[in-house]
Amino acid sequence: MEKVTTLDANLSVVEKDPDSGELLSRIREDAPGAFDEFVTRFGGRIYAFGMKFCGEREDAKDVLQDTLLQAYRSLRTLEHAEAMTSWLYRVAANACLMKRRKGKFEPEREISLEELLPGPGKDAPMQIPDPAALPHDDAVRAETKARVQKAIGDLPPAYRIVLVMRDMEQFSTQEVADALSLEISAVKMRLHRARLMLRKTLEESYAADRRADGRP
Amino acid sequence: MSGGHVHGGPECIALFAKLSEYLDGELELGACADVEGHLAECERCQEFLESLRRAVAHVASLSAPELPENLKRDILSAYARARGSS
Repeated sequence: MEKVTTLDANLSVVEKDPDSGELLSRIREDAPGAFDEFVTRFGGRIYAFGMKFCGEREDAKDVLQDTLLQAYRSLRTLEHAEAMTSWLYRVAANACLMKRRKGKFEPEREISLEELLPGPGKDAPMQIPDPAALPHDDAVRAETKARVQKAIGDLPPAYRIVLVMRDMEQFSTQEVADALSLEISAVKMRLHRARLMLRKTLEESYAADRRADGRP
Repeated sequence: MSGGHVHGGPECIALFAKLSEYLDGELELGACADVEGHLAECERCQEFLESLRRAVAHVASLSAPELPENLKRDILSAYARARGSS
């Protein structure tokens, strides 16, 4: 069975930004155009990150504005330019979590694995379709996207932020741990639970559709 | 199912806890071999792993909208105003 190794690839995506030093110097000097360049380089990524976590444009817009302005002020004291991208995501992750804290229930305990164990063995058909085998049908793909986004949105925020950073933004486990000030074991635990909860939600969602269609 | 294995026992539960690390290639070689040994004899765990892999793949395939140009303009304007008043 083929294993997926992502750690090295992730590090190269996130950390190697050869122009960070030059941009950081210009930010420190408050040079003309430095903020424009900063927004051009990171604005889209942070907005997308906010959308993935919050699922709503207005929330993503707030996350972006809070993140960029706070980051721009604070970046002047950042010592290591190579850490700029990871540092920025740390600010963005905090902005995301603060955004949802007002309206969403924060779990008081970690969800146990036993709660996510599948039921006793039975011959049920595979419910979740393989994304690689989806038909090239815009309606089907839009429906699938909405279903997955809703399942992500239903996750507890503390789990969702880890899932977004690991599986959507492709950060390494270590980078997520650094950004969220968590132990690596806690990142792995939350990621696993997030994935299991998401799988369960999707499976139940597809199973409900099958029953509604009169299929087993 | 092969070899008379009945799904749901301690081996299945032990594997259940390691599936994400297995998918991410983060297991030690010995633990990885244990997982693959169990998967070879438990069809239900194979199916569960496949459904988990699909769920993760769906998440990874989601695209996000690009930054709206008017939002970028608003942010730059807000910054210019803040800079001018400081």
